[in-house]
Amino acid sequence: MVNEIIARVSRGSRMDQVYLPKNRASALGVGEYVVIAPALRKEQITPYYYNAGHIEPIKAEIIQGILSNSEAENIIIAGSFLEKGFCFEDIDIIVINGEGRAIENYVEIAFGLKAHIINMKYDALRAGLNTDPLFQMILSRFASKERILLNIKPQINYKLLDLHLLKSKLLPEQFEHLNGKEKYKLARNMIAIKLFIEGKTATIEKVNKEIESLFGKGAVKSIFENTIEKTPFTAKYREVYRKVFNAIMGGISHAKQGQAG
Amino acid sequence: MQNKGKLVRIFIGNVANAVVHEILENAIEEQSLRSHYGKEMQNSFLLAKRYRKKLNPGGKPLPDKESADIKAKIMKKAVNELKLRIKKGYTNIDVDSADKIAEKLLKKLKA
Repeated sequence: MVNEIIARVSRGSRMDQVYLPKNRASALGVGEYVVIAPALRKEQITPYYYNAGHIEPIKAEIIQGILSNSEAENIIIAGSFLEKGFCFEDIDIIVINGEGRAIENYVEIAFGLKAHIINMKYDALRAGLNTDPLFQMILSRFASKERILLNIKPQINYKLLDLHLLKSKLLPEQFEHLNGKEKYKLARNMIAIKLFIEGKTATIEKVNKEIESLFGKGAVKSIFENTIEKTPFTAKYREVYRKVFNAIMGGISHAKQGQAG
Repeated sequence: MQNKGKLVRIFIGNVANAVVHEILENAIEEQSLRSHYGKEMQNSFLLAKRYRKKLNPGGKPLPDKESADIKAKIMKKAVNELKLRIKKGYTNIDVDSADKIAEKLLKKLKA
């Protein structure tokens, strides 16, 4: 007799079970220890990692699971999930030509995590990378199902940058009511836009370095831990915001003159 | 006890921001880029919602006089932001839609 049986897992009231026929190999007798493993194994995808550094083993498993359980043309896992530690709220997943809802459900059921799905085509992805500093920052490190060639050709769309910067406008006014993470996100948003206007690629490392340069050594940690002093921080913040805003308005004005001339 | 006046000011700021955001989003010519950013407006709206919960009376609409005063201030802030941009050469901005958008957001916020 063959020492292998294919059986189905059934739901029980207190425990789930697998039923075995009485007539079976002696190696599968009562009291014997056996291994329960999936009979059908999905094809394992080898993720492509870009600038991801060390990934915690549990995260690598989650990535493997997400990439192996979708028929999408490509899946890109990016954002704070790939940063060191477990301070992420959700997993940013870009789905290229595929069903995002299915992935969202899978992530929640399989791992108990929330997925933030962005459905797009490759054209929109390239357009986003070329024009959106926040997109550039999110995609400064990622894991994907298929390899992607990042050929960034920065194009400054001042109206888009204005839209993004607006989010960061009210940080000084509501300083006491925001937690550290919120303050950091708004500051990071503004600085990413600043770097982009200056012709620099917005990566998380460069943004953090610029925050430290403007607000002092250790500023990233202080902001995140919500221990940064209000007065000097908001004064500097307003100054930086004003400069970035004026640069954007200057860009819009210049573009308008260019059209008229 | 939190300063109600300050909470109202922050609330007004966030709603005005949400109004401006929606109008600017509609002014972006590239549809493919525009559609991805709809969720960004939610950021200001969600913050506004947070401050609304801190105002009294919670859960019920604000008194009419207070509500009218808040709306007037939101409109003033939003229109000023939009006019500043128009002055700089920003095109396609529909300032006239600000009232309808503010009304819609305030209704959702029960303010």
